[in-house]
Amino acid sequence: MTVGGYTRALRANLLAGFLLTVILLLIVRMFYMQTFQHEAYLEISEKNRIRVVPEIAVRGRVFDRNGILLIDNRPSYAVAAVPSEITNLNAVSSDLSELLGVPEERIQQKIRKSRYRRYEPVRLKRDASFDVVCRIEEASDHYPGIVLQLDQSRNYPEHGSAAHLLGYPSEITEDELDRLRGKGFRSGSLIGRKGIERSYDHYLRGIDGTRHLEVTAEGKIVGPLDERAPIMPTAGFDLTLTIDYDLQLLGESLFGDSLSGALVAMDPNTGGILAFVSQPTFDANLFTGPLSTEDWKRLSTDQQHPLLNRCIQATYPPGSSYKLIVAGAALESGTVTTETRFLGCTGGYRYGNRVFKCHKLSGHGVLTLVDAIAASCNVYFYQLGKKLGLEKFSEYSRACGFGKRLGIDLGDEVPGLVPDADYYDNRYGERKWPKSVILNLTIGQGELLVTPLQMATFYSALANGGRLLRPHVLRGLETVEGAISMDTEEIRRLPFSPETIAVLQKAAFEVVNGVLGTARRARIDGTTVAGKTGTAQNPHGNEHSWFCAYAPADDPVIAVACIVENAGHGGAVAAPIVAKVIERYLQSNGIIPEVPQPELPMEEIVDATL
Amino acid sequence: MQLFRGNISKSALLLFAAALFLTSVGIVIIQSAMFAAPTQYEQDYFKRQMIWTVAALFLFVIVVFVPMRFFEVFAYVFFGVVVIMLAGLLFKGGGRAARWYNLGFFNLQVAELAKIAVVFVLARYLTYSRRPANSVRRFASVLILVAIPMLMVLKQPDLGTSIVFVAVLITVLYWSGLPATYMLLLITPVVSLIASSHWISWIVFFVLVLVLLQMIKPGTLFSIATIGVNLLSGMIMPFIWNRLQDYQKMRILVFLDPGRDPLGAGYQIIQSKVAVGSGGLWGKGYMAGTQTNLAFIPERHTDFVFSVIGEEFGFWGGLLILIAFVGIILLGIRIALKCRNRFSSFVVIGGVTIIAFQLVVNVGMALGLMPVTGLPLPFISYGGSSLLMSWMILGLIVNSELNWQEY
Repeated sequence: MTVGGYTRALRANLLAGFLLTVILLLIVRMFYMQTFQHEAYLEISEKNRIRVVPEIAVRGRVFDRNGILLIDNRPSYAVAAVPSEITNLNAVSSDLSELLGVPEERIQQKIRKSRYRRYEPVRLKRDASFDVVCRIEEASDHYPGIVLQLDQSRNYPEHGSAAHLLGYPSEITEDELDRLRGKGFRSGSLIGRKGIERSYDHYLRGIDGTRHLEVTAEGKIVGPLDERAPIMPTAGFDLTLTIDYDLQLLGESLFGDSLSGALVAMDPNTGGILAFVSQPTFDANLFTGPLSTEDWKRLSTDQQHPLLNRCIQATYPPGSSYKLIVAGAALESGTVTTETRFLGCTGGYRYGNRVFKCHKLSGHGVLTLVDAIAASCNVYFYQLGKKLGLEKFSEYSRACGFGKRLGIDLGDEVPGLVPDADYYDNRYGERKWPKSVILNLTIGQGELLVTPLQMATFYSALANGGRLLRPHVLRGLETVEGAISMDTEEIRRLPFSPETIAVLQKAAFEVVNGVLGTARRARIDGTTVAGKTGTAQNPHGNEHSWFCAYAPADDPVIAVACIVENAGHGGAVAAPIVAKVIERYLQSNGIIPEVPQPELPMEEIVDATL
Repeated sequence: MQLFRGNISKSALLLFAAALFLTSVGIVIIQSAMFAAPTQYEQDYFKRQMIWTVAALFLFVIVVFVPMRFFEVFAYVFFGVVVIMLAGLLFKGGGRAARWYNLGFFNLQVAELAKIAVVFVLARYLTYSRRPANSVRRFASVLILVAIPMLMVLKQPDLGTSIVFVAVLITVLYWSGLPATYMLLLITPVVSLIASSHWISWIVFFVLVLVLLQMIKPGTLFSIATIGVNLLSGMIMPFIWNRLQDYQKMRILVFLDPGRDPLGAGYQIIQSKVAVGSGGLWGKGYMAGTQTNLAFIPERHTDFVFSVIGEEFGFWGGLLILIAFVGIILLGIRIALKCRNRFSSFVVIGGVTIIAFQLVVNVGMALGLMPVTGLPLPFISYGGSSLLMSWMILGLIVNSELNWQEY
């Protein structure tokens, strides 16, 4: 049969040929996918069905030097949503937003993102408060698809005690994860943010384990994957700090709620920090869950700056407590001897057309160096400083550990400022600054800025005969290979000869124990304290009260630097605080006997009750 | 009693064996695909498929022994009934997706019936049309016959089935000896529609059409008509695109670029390719496909049943299935060729077209070569309507084979 010029047989062959060609193409494609691309597809299919579930390692605990537990872990609950069980996303997210304090859009976004793994819980908030947990438990009908997951959170001392020292961890950010992937971090990992939680994060963190589960397309768990054995997590190492928590608490209580400032106590023979007080403080427990916007606003806008670590991040003019450094520089450079006397103090000193005052308006009269330190006479030091010169002042200051970071094992340390000629040239233009700047610097004022840690470290060096030791808070840690303890590390020696140091020690002794001394309030029964007061003027308010000291004077075991902001004269406010800290430490170490609390005589109690 | 002239032929036996093989494989695949499904109902799909197989075999036997004359006589009646049923669906669904009538014991997919009805009505019309193959009236008549059910199915909306109608129409007209000029007029607008998605491809295509016209020299009228139709279909492309449902647009876009929405519409294509590719040469084994059992493949008992074959039985398993299909298709074409009865010949070609087209689209979809259209794999996919339709077509082919000498 022929129609239109070509036969039915030809048409049949053409049709068959066309269909065979198409089917052959399918076969070729199938073959290509199942041979050349097989490996790649097999890998995807394996990834599809296997979910790697992390087994979070328990974070290491932290103890003080006497074994008192400072940070441990407590069980907590995280609030999570199971997308498959959520019927009304809008209603649930608005309810939860109110309850958890998390924005509604964040909740919706998180749940939508995992709509293809509908059975897999999405974590909305970690470390939910007890109140929130109770309300979700009670009204579980009201929150369909919302579940509570057992979790672990850090437990910090109450009232923000030692918060600046200990710091806190929080959830890793996307950016950090990009940088740190492959180093044991994953989405949701905790990473130390401040204090030792950050500086020793590597040891505290431990190693997360993993379990392999087989899951369906919707994220429903079928069961453990038999082919791959679970890897158990390795707990983080426990740390022991050099801190004496009893002393820390005492220091904090001495500041109380009304005073702000810092106190650093150090073991002058090792550089170990005994107390690290920065007031006001904050409650690190607030940071264990995501910090609420409200709390963050309150903390970050507080005029008292509770988040600031005053021991290492705040810089202050040291005031007269810096005179020992200046005196040392003068002695060592041969500018003065112990017998040098300058023009007598009449309550002020005229330089150029300006009068520089002494704190004693009636004047100290003619003094030796030691007496000038003991009485903290500014006029004596103006004349000493003029003779010493800016260059020597800066050189010796730096050699005493000022103007640069000491390298304590906590982050965020600031260097402070030791000005020199270059500094003034840059600031005011070349030689456009008065030579009188040195007068202010010699009494610890002017542009000179120090941290409380630098003062404590210098006084430790003075106490131990001249060794400037690296300050540190870690005493040791227990690893699987054994205990590691921090060695005493000498940064350098003070640029002072033993004779000079002896003179400075004598002067510090006189400040507390001499007739002229400004820190007679720092005396302690049964031992001798040596130190130096400081009253630092500042443009923002009242003078800062400084006292730096060590004890016992003949064989020191503790050095303390303390600043109380806007509190007035150093001898009046800071000295008694330091004395109490030293006394407690010496008592608890058996160097002086513990004085029993004076008990009220029986009669008086009876009288009182009558 | 001799029901038909000639003996039970080797071809008929081969056809039956191939179809029975495919149906049996289908039952096994459906069981393997659904044994891990969450509900007992889904796990029992293969059992219901077994019952449907018995029903389909009955239908097959009936169709083999009913004289072709019967289908020829009732072609228009059957067609009319199907059109009424389709119209009923439109009212029933209120213009939305209603695809079946619930008959109590099963949901009748009218689109499956419509495929066979269109084959019958085209065969009947072309058998008796006295007009020459290149007659415009004859051409227009078949276009209208197919357009009626096609538009109704499109409205359901079931894009896949309506394209099956187009494939049947083109093949049957080709079989009737439609001249190349008409083929050109019929096929080029469709290509123009696709090519117009980009102006460069459309210009290249248009130049090709002009070259073809120059070679065939169909006369002024045809040349102008062809150019006009191509221009028109190229220009209405944006219009049609806007008329498509969002999910249909998404399916086409995702087919062109599966990475566009890997968790949404592209998910099915990607997971299906992963299933087939991860199967390798020998497959992961019966009931051992992880993509299948962990529900990564959607519609794995119907539209994506070939993904399961690829994953669990590998290249060799898939090849065996395709060879069985090729056997049915080639035997079908041979029977259509030797049939003395024109009606039978058209019916066989139409039936073969349905099976071949659905095979290519379904397998192509599983391999990521075609957009997701939701056409079942004949003989294998779960579903009573589809299985009955497949076996009815097989019955018609075997019937024609056994009675090939009759005029």
